[in-house]
Amino acid sequence: MTPIELDPQRDYPLASNRPELLRTPTGKRLDEITMQAVLAGEVAAEDLRIAPDTLRLQAQIAESAGRAQLGENFRRAAELTALPDEKVLAIYNALRPQASTEQELLDIAEELERDYSAPLCGRLVREAADVYERRDILAG
Amino acid sequence: MGGNPAVEGVAGKRILELTETGEARSGRRSDEVVIGISPAFGAFFSTTIVGLPHAEVLRELLAGIEEQGVRARVVRFRHSADVAVIAHTSAKLSGSGIGIGILSRGTTVIHQKDLVRLSNLELFPQAPLMDLETFRKVGRNAARYAKGESPEPVPSRNDHMARPRWQAKAALLHIKETEFVRAHAEPVELGVEIRMAHAG
Amino acid sequence: MSTMGAAGEEPSVTPRRSKRTEILENRPVNLDGFVEEWPEVGMVAMDSPYDPQPSVRVENGVVVEMDGRTREEFDFLDQFIADHAIDAEAAERAMALSAIEIAHMLVDPKVSRDEVLAVSSGLTPAKLLEVVKTMNVVEIMMAMQKMRARRTPANQAHSTSARDNPVQVVADAAEAALRGFRELETTLGVVRYAPLVAIALQVGAQAARPGVLTQCALEEATELELGMRGITGYAETISVYGTEPVFCDGDDTPWSKAFLASAYASRGIKMRFTSGTGSEVQMGNAQGKSMLYLEIRCVLVTKGAGVQGLQNGSISCIGVPGAVPAGIRAVAAENLVASMVGLECASGNDQSFSHSDMRRTARLMPQLLAGTDFVCSGYSSVPNYDNMFAGSNLDCEDYDDWNVIQRDLQVDGALRHVPEDEILAARNRAARALQGVFAHLDLPSITDREIEAVTYSHGSEDLPFRDVLEDLKGAQSVMDRGITGLDIVKGLEAGGFADIAESLLGVLRQRVSGDLLHTSAILTPELTTLSAVNDPNDYAGPGTGYRPTGARWEEMKRLRHVVSARNPEEEVG
Repeated sequence: MTPIELDPQRDYPLASNRPELLRTPTGKRLDEITMQAVLAGEVAAEDLRIAPDTLRLQAQIAESAGRAQLGENFRRAAELTALPDEKVLAIYNALRPQASTEQELLDIAEELERDYSAPLCGRLVREAADVYERRDILAG
Repeated sequence: MGGNPAVEGVAGKRILELTETGEARSGRRSDEVVIGISPAFGAFFSTTIVGLPHAEVLRELLAGIEEQGVRARVVRFRHSADVAVIAHTSAKLSGSGIGIGILSRGTTVIHQKDLVRLSNLELFPQAPLMDLETFRKVGRNAARYAKGESPEPVPSRNDHMARPRWQAKAALLHIKETEFVRAHAEPVELGVEIRMAHAG
Repeated sequence: MSTMGAAGEEPSVTPRRSKRTEILENRPVNLDGFVEEWPEVGMVAMDSPYDPQPSVRVENGVVVEMDGRTREEFDFLDQFIADHAIDAEAAERAMALSAIEIAHMLVDPKVSRDEVLAVSSGLTPAKLLEVVKTMNVVEIMMAMQKMRARRTPANQAHSTSARDNPVQVVADAAEAALRGFRELETTLGVVRYAPLVAIALQVGAQAARPGVLTQCALEEATELELGMRGITGYAETISVYGTEPVFCDGDDTPWSKAFLASAYASRGIKMRFTSGTGSEVQMGNAQGKSMLYLEIRCVLVTKGAGVQGLQNGSISCIGVPGAVPAGIRAVAAENLVASMVGLECASGNDQSFSHSDMRRTARLMPQLLAGTDFVCSGYSSVPNYDNMFAGSNLDCEDYDDWNVIQRDLQVDGALRHVPEDEILAARNRAARALQGVFAHLDLPSITDREIEAVTYSHGSEDLPFRDVLEDLKGAQSVMDRGITGLDIVKGLEAGGFADIAESLLGVLRQRVSGDLLHTSAILTPELTTLSAVNDPNDYAGPGTGYRPTGARWEEMKRLRHVVSARNPEEEVG
């Protein structure tokens, strides 16, 4: 967790007001993503992604602006930055109705918690397993 | 609005008589197409959403199939008002593996037994745009698929004003048709007679 | 439907009709469909005896009863809403207020937006319904004026082509951007065309007036992939529904959709959900509830999922609420509910609605006059015959009417008149830029003849045909080769369009900061983020809030033909 205290009035948008807080997942600063760098092949698609710490800063801003659920979403998103695209899509598909057994969902939750340090996403999947069981929308 | 004076004026009035002849069975003839009709087709309902009489619709489908030298069987589905289910099950009952599904309001699908249910050979989702000529072409193409040919799909039509005119009525017709669904009822084979009404 | 009853009866003499009846019969409005209410199946806009009565009970910080159902009786929407959307701490106090009191808070300019949000965060779906049921259309507009999230209104356009022609899309996108739209959406006739059309949309969106965000409506997984690659900029067609069986028919649940929302945010991509009155009854499973009650459940699922905003206002089902009494009032109310729980609202007006010009204008007024985050969630920037969303309530033939209405009423619908020479220059340059990008990426070439045609064209009928099979091969290769937004940037630079390349890179860079993930975010042409955080709606009655003034008002005064005051023999340009 970041110790930085943000004030939405003063600090947002971060790109203009607090650029020093921002890094790409590859460690670059915003002002390093220039046309020159792109043409020199020094900027790759991975440089145009958001870093987990940035999402947690934005979560702080959302929460300070009174948007608790939006902040929670950003915190789940921060966890998901660690997952490869295919894994994200696979979990999404597993959460569709009648797509998974209860055990399969619980295994996904455990994997999220154990391998990706993603407790918030894990909790969402556990909750789904519980509701799906009660509402009879598990596979099989 | 409503009605369809052009049809009545030109063709006179035809009467459709559908007689249940027993549980529908899987066909063994490879030169047949099964036309699956929805629970209320030609029963509670007598016309499509734009007022085309079901007698004329069925007549065109049958004529389109028969002009290709292919046989047609007509089956009523009672367990579903979902056009994909009706068309896909028709295809599975058909000796050729080709079936047509049609709802009372006119929504139509040509299906093949080996495809997944939500896929299809040809889909005609906009019931208000279905005219008799199109139904004839649907029958013709289904017969050609049954013969193993690859016909050009029937040209699809688009009308961005169909929604404001027909969407709510389509919803009502769908709900009404769904009221005639009986959960576990088997499909039944139908005898079809289409004849001219006596004038006066 | 007046002649239906006569069919099948004895031939009879048609009773004589008056000439006036004949004239009225032939008015376009009589081509629209109207049906009777049928509350038992949900064919009712907002006033049904079968909707639940509001109630809430909280034990140990958990909502254990909501709208007459206990936790054990909750369906999955109830549970998701109770656990994620409703602030259990605020619930009992908020629910103790009467619907009339809350409606007064909404309308009264002396009660601030924040005070309303503090109450609405504790309201159940049935209570929110009860509140808006006390309000007439003018009160709904009063409330919307205060509750919309962003101070400055914006607008979104559709840019599509009946032939999926990328050359048409790039030119119309550039013109739309120039005219003021801040978001552009496309979709396809032939889905495999998507990569080429999405690239065209992205290039056009930055070509004339940069900072326009683009999206391509596709099935969820493909839409996400184009977004992750930076070929599109945001996502919108993430649908939610108001009953459990219809939600499942859509092959999703509130949990799968909440997960998808986090997936988008994890890649720095803006997204909103989509829902609307009428979808459940259209799909035959409204469980006997009114359209608006079910839509309010969708709004709260969206909020609970932590999504910043919602596209609603019936959307593709507009023919259903449009056919029943008070249906368009319900549509205005559903937009308001989205705004009053703090969400961004992209407020419909995006689907063909009526044969009558009067009626389609009336349907637009509540959103245009009050102002919403996006007045249209899809104004067709192409003629409706090219609109692959099956037509919009407004299309490019209505641009001048829209501009005059803005000027007449001094209401900002976010568009402006642009002189023809500027439009022609923008269309031409955008098409040439795409020509350069396609050449750089070794995609099927765009000829000078196509560019000349698209500069002066109205729709796809005016353009030379492209080799569809070659285009589809090219589209596939975009996916196979893993082409990304950065490759488009390089292609623009290589083609000699350095400024457009720089703009696109600026847009792509936004996802590193995540500023656009906040409620109601748009980019200005200077690529600054404007959202509910730094441009919050501050309406507090007459003389406050957003009003078009200064340079913007001067811009709105310009029309195609305005007689000069100095020399009435001339027009001002």
